[in-house]
Amino acid sequence: MKTYPMIRINTLAIVGKFVTALIAVVVIQGVLSFKFKVFGYFDLPLIFSVFYGFTLGNPIASLLIGGSLGLMQDSLSGVVLGANGLSKTLIGFCAAMAGSKFAVDQTITRILALFLFSVGDSLLVTILGLMVTPAASATYSSAFGTWLLSATFNTLLGLVLFGYHDRRSNVTA
Amino acid sequence: MSRNVAASQKRAWIALAAALIFHTGLISLQSHQRVDRGFVRVWILDLLAPVEKLADRSLFSVHSVWDHYISLVEEHEENVRLRHENDSLRMELMQQKEQILEAQRIRTLAGMTDSHIGKSVIARVIGRDPARNQTVTIDKGAVDGLRPDSAVITAEGIVGRVIHASNHFSIVQLIVDSQSAVGVMLETTRQRGILNGMGTRDLALDYIDDDNDLKQGDTFLTSGEDRIYPKGLLVGTITQVGPRKGLLKAVQVRPAADLSRLEEVLCLIDFSRSAEIADPAQAVPAP
Repeated sequence: MKTYPMIRINTLAIVGKFVTALIAVVVIQGVLSFKFKVFGYFDLPLIFSVFYGFTLGNPIASLLIGGSLGLMQDSLSGVVLGANGLSKTLIGFCAAMAGSKFAVDQTITRILALFLFSVGDSLLVTILGLMVTPAASATYSSAFGTWLLSATFNTLLGLVLFGYHDRRSNVTA
Repeated sequence: MSRNVAASQKRAWIALAAALIFHTGLISLQSHQRVDRGFVRVWILDLLAPVEKLADRSLFSVHSVWDHYISLVEEHEENVRLRHENDSLRMELMQQKEQILEAQRIRTLAGMTDSHIGKSVIARVIGRDPARNQTVTIDKGAVDGLRPDSAVITAEGIVGRVIHASNHFSIVQLIVDSQSAVGVMLETTRQRGILNGMGTRDLALDYIDDDNDLKQGDTFLTSGEDRIYPKGLLVGTITQVGPRKGLLKAVQVRPAADLSRLEEVLCLIDFSRSAEIADPAQAVPAP
């Protein structure tokens, strides 16, 4: 009988957990925004891309996580396949790089990062979408208002998530 | 030590470049096609949509229990004792009511399948676009005959068109999406026009032969000229006629179908271009 080293099983378990968590994030976002309209303003994949970027501090893992979340998000929506993928890849990478250069455990840093990443993500996805399929009558002024509202919602939810993470870290430390 | 850090940074930048090239390649592949049929999207959609369907069903059950049972208990605390006695009966009644409503909706839709719109299939909406665009996911796909550009309607009016179909699931672009346009005609005067989505809950009139007589309450039907929707289906009603902006008046139209409460929809899978819905207004002579 073939035996597998314990370290390989552990790695597989960690990867499995990550994959399940990522799928759950995208599915929860899809189902909740269908059931409750307000959830349309949240972008859970974005929040988790920033979260993993900050907490893992590993640029390669973070960009892979961001890219996967974005691709899944694109597949469940009508946007150009790769638009959210590219945007979340960049966000995951930048968040991980920022994590090694700035004090990302400070609330103000987190607020700024979540807000700017959220607005940047909306802008980039819109530009990429327009490059492939130009909108017939996109209302940019109202779109900008929605971006700001969405960025505010994402920042608030992100702070709650980071707060929960901090509490858990303190308890286990 | 610093050599290790430098090597790790270099690896990270190389990984970023590779990821960006991959995503850019994926995007540029789609710029050559109006509707993408990429296998990547089909795979991911087939992988994620069943999970989404499961989550939707679970949430639906919890939600209906909340709506029909728990909230009632909270509102009528003084009747707790009586309520406990009637719990099981109420639950049963609620479930039956829900089933009757669902059956009525399906029967209405099924009734439409016998009309002049060709073959169709009833689908259930299982999710909404996580990227805030105006699309929904339905639980029918290519296996059921759905293709990109298949029209999706309800008994109240048109809903949108399929833009991506995997084997068992499809993404439907709603008519209010800013990339959507529908060929329409005014029910009374038969004037042809185009309604565009605005990314909000309303549609905007983009073109019409003559907008002088447009007034609040006028109804638009599909004209069939976009070759997606059969002619004569209800699209929406004018809610606001604003001042002229350029050549046209600013006209807002509210879709007839309630797009925020979609549950079951009818997908037209064999819409014959020559077939048209029997339209009672057809008898009205054009002025």
